Amino acid sequence: MEISRDAYRAIEDIVGPEFVTDDPALLDSYAFQYLAELIRPEHSHFMPRPWAVVMPRTTKEVQAVTRLANKYKIKIKPISTGWYHWAAPLKDNEPTLQLDLRRMNRILDFDEKNRFAVVEPYVICAQLQAEVMKHGLNINITGAGSSCSIVASACAYFGAGPSSFSMGNNSDNLLGQEWVTPAGEIVRTGSVSSGAGWFCSEGPGPSVRGITRGYLGSRGGLGTYTKCAIKLADWPGPASLEVKGRPPGYRLPVPENFRVYTIGAPDWDSFAECYYGIYDNTLGYIFHRQFNLAGADLATALWLTYIDPTKTLNDVETAAADPEIKAINEKARISFQLILAAHSSDGIELQDKILDEILTATGCYKVERYCDKDMAEFTNMYLQRMGHKHCNFIWAGGYMGSWMQAGKPDWVKTYVPTAIETFKNDQDSGLLVQCGGDALMGCGSTLAGGGYYGFEQFVSYDPADIKSVKACVKHMEDAVVTCREKGIPYGKEYLYLQVAWPDEAVWNALARAPQTFVFDFQRKIKEAFDPNGLGDRNYPWLPEGWGKSAASAQKE
Amino acid sequence: MSIEDFRADAMRCSRCAYCKWMPLDLMKSWRFSKGCPSIEYGNFHSYSAGGRLITALSLMDGRSTVTDKVRDTVFMCNMCGSCDVSCKICRYDMEPLQAMRELRVKLVEEGHLPAALAKCVESLKTNHNMLGAPKERRGDWAKTLGIKDLSREKAKVVFHAGCRYSFDGEQSGVARTAVAILKKAGVDFGIFGATESCCGGRSYGMGLNDPVKHCAETNLAKWHAAGVETVVTPCADCYYAFKRLYPQVAGSQIKVLHMVELVEQLVRDGQLKLTKPVTMKVTYHDPCHLGRQGEDYVPWNGKEKKIFGQAVCYDPPRPRYNGAFGVYEAPRSLLQSIPGVELVEMERNREAAWCCGAGGGAREAYPKFSQWTAGERIEEAEATGADALVSACPWCEKNFSDSVRHGGHKLKVFDILQLVEQAL
Ligand code: SF4
Ligand code: SF4
Repeated sequence: MEISRDAYRAIEDIVGPEFVTDDPALLDSYAFQYLAELIRPEHSHFMPRPWAVVMPRTTKEVQAVTRLANKYKIKIKPISTGWYHWAAPLKDNEPTLQLDLRRMNRILDFDEKNRFAVVEPYVICAQLQAEVMKHGLNINITGAGSSCSIVASACAYFGAGPSSFSMGNNSDNLLGQEWVTPAGEIVRTGSVSSGAGWFCSEGPGPSVRGITRGYLGSRGGLGTYTKCAIKLADWPGPASLEVKGRPPGYRLPVPENFRVYTIGAPDWDSFAECYYGIYDNTLGYIFHRQFNLAGADLATALWLTYIDPTKTLNDVETAAADPEIKAINEKARISFQLILAAHSSDGIELQDKILDEILTATGCYKVERYCDKDMAEFTNMYLQRMGHKHCNFIWAGGYMGSWMQAGKPDWVKTYVPTAIETFKNDQDSGLLVQCGGDALMGCGSTLAGGGYYGFEQFVSYDPADIKSVKACVKHMEDAVVTCREKGIPYGKEYLYLQVAWPDEAVWNALARAPQTFVFDFQRKIKEAFDPNGLGDRNYPWLPEGWGKSAASAQKE
Repeated sequence: MSIEDFRADAMRCSRCAYCKWMPLDLMKSWRFSKGCPSIEYGNFHSYSAGGRLITALSLMDGRSTVTDKVRDTVFMCNMCGSCDVSCKICRYDMEPLQAMRELRVKLVEEGHLPAALAKCVESLKTNHNMLGAPKERRGDWAKTLGIKDLSREKAKVVFHAGCRYSFDGEQSGVARTAVAILKKAGVDFGIFGATESCCGGRSYGMGLNDPVKHCAETNLAKWHAAGVETVVTPCADCYYAFKRLYPQVAGSQIKVLHMVELVEQLVRDGQLKLTKPVTMKVTYHDPCHLGRQGEDYVPWNGKEKKIFGQAVCYDPPRPRYNGAFGVYEAPRSLLQSIPGVELVEMERNREAAWCCGAGGGAREAYPKFSQWTAGERIEEAEATGADALVSACPWCEKNFSDSVRHGGHKLKVFDILQLVEQAL
């Protein structure tokens, strides 16, 4: 199946012939997506191929291409830094234009006084952070890392990260956006919609931000976001990160007004109490359970190996058997990373004292080896810049995040043992990386203001080994069944699996969700803004009356 | 090796796109944050390392075929290795640079070598150089210098000028400078003059296997016959070929030094004294083949093994070329030992350096792309406020000089040896 020559030529007229392609090999580089092998027939690494890839440079070009797509009834799927299987077209044989937004890559405005920046979709977190740090400001870097698009994380996904604990998520920090609807209209949200500038997320009238993104974001399923304004946070550190060391374990010296700790807990109850103590006392510039992505059995062995540039993964095996490292590992088994920041030495000393009180009261402690200079500087580097996030794939090239149910600490601690047990059982086959049942990782906040968070299990598998891929799928299914049986809400694995389902199955699942009115509401949004159905179901909605008995539908 | 050997790399690519950027930790601005010239110029994902892995998989699986566009995505790349460094920040099981070269090999075998590169390879065969110059002229640069001719005499050190310094009249002054420095330091060395032949390294980068093997065997035989124990070169491409490729393709055990390493050592040992001030603010460009690709060769003939069920490692452990141990400090130390020189760094330096644009056949096959790449570096150098951009490779210097000339820039371009000469 291919795009008609008429449509292709019309696109060329809009963006220029060098910025559109329908060459099969080039299209395949967009069809290939992380996680595809978990859900595609025969575990193919390729999602459905787009019919063409188009690279607009301006909002006007996005609009023109979108209007053209309406004329030719071709779906639109924007991608910026692009990640996950759902970044590709979702269905085979469905005509789709992939809009690669990488040419829209400018920082358009930076308002130091009002603390926001306006960016295009291909500006990544690391770029903006580097620029705003020169002015004593910072941005929340999404948990997926600083190679990710700010627009994508704020407008189209969730955008929680290690610094969300103090700065909020990018979806919270979204101050306005420019949106080319699937029908080809240009809509601006927030204060910019009334010509008042980009300083406020809500403009006159109903919350358009809520309409466009819902909770999780439309993930390319409801048109294209071409600009957004993002709120900036305080940065009490140096104007530029003066990084030391050799790759891969770069180090960032810890300034006098910062502290970098790994905090250990004797059990999950103490972990939760410690979290409350830190949260209640408004400590914590960064709160993240980062290093446990390697699994609680292997984390210390991995990271101490990683920071030595002469070593490779082979050395982890030896390190993991070293009694000294094993002892450190036990201290760090239930742990998290905490970075404190203040504007003065008095300020940081006070924070230190409060933290010590909290630790004493909760039985938690600083894990000494992780707080040594080398590991502290590495931790500082990792979490301030988030430039090592693809260590997610470090074991075998494949990672799938299961569980990820968010809630208050008292809730999180209740699902953690189940998540650990389920994962541990699935590792016994040897077809997943055997790193211990607890490979739970996550940021200290998934809600503006903190106090609410969740962990995901880092399930490491080998995408080049079909048995390992199948074992990962089995784990996803096991996690879903376990959640169902234990009354735990489904985690991310359920969303991942749904990508392969037919519409009817997805709608049946949505119809069983606790608040189906959301999906009814979103249908109305879709009807208004996407009359020709150019978006895909990454923006979820329910057909009218779906899953309801005639009587209850009538009653409504 | 063949592209099939990198099938697992392709399947394990997480499409994270780190390969498009400089190491994220080192990023200091929006302007100079990119790592890969190819994706910046070509834009489609296939112009990145990750994209080429996918192309390889797509071709191997018969999902697509080699079109003109595909050929461009494969060859419009400097083989600079920035992608390799960035990918390996988080990965031990990926070799994107090697995989991209094997993809080139596949295309070359199937008859898709770009015409401009086919010309270079032909010149290598007939004239023993990549520049299309008559081989008899190779030794002209040294004719009047009275240097020991190792085709007749013996020495433990051979100075290998390389194709650019031998044939390019604008550049061969650097070769003369180099030998003057060696003479001044009292090094007993010789050259092969007219019988010197290309290192073959650039043909390897273009995706050919045989020429570099042939060059290695020829050069090693000549060096052995002349009693050579150390080869020293002012060219980063030659350095890489001798140091990394010759052991691999011909079992070479000869000691290899770049001129900057040798001269820095001579200065440190007091055999050369840099006394005359050279009042200049300079910035140093790390040539890819001396910097991030200049790490020592480690023989390896192992296989993949798994630990902890599925974690991928190698038996025996696989050498890790990730730019951690390239030649970065010798040139900087040398520059800093020149009185009056003020060294300022570009934002992208050492393993994170932006390429000059001349590598991988890009200068020959995609001149616009190659010059654009150089122009980006010129702007970065200018942003430091430096008077001059200094490098240690004739290919970098040529591309930069062309770019400065065409762009009307004021920046001066020097080989590091030219500054050393001024200070002697
Ligand atoms: S080649 Fe490496 S850096 Fe590039 S997308 Fe693949 S895994 Fe990421
Ligand atoms: S070798 Fe250089 S130009 Fe080629 S893909 Fe890698 S970074 Fe880009």
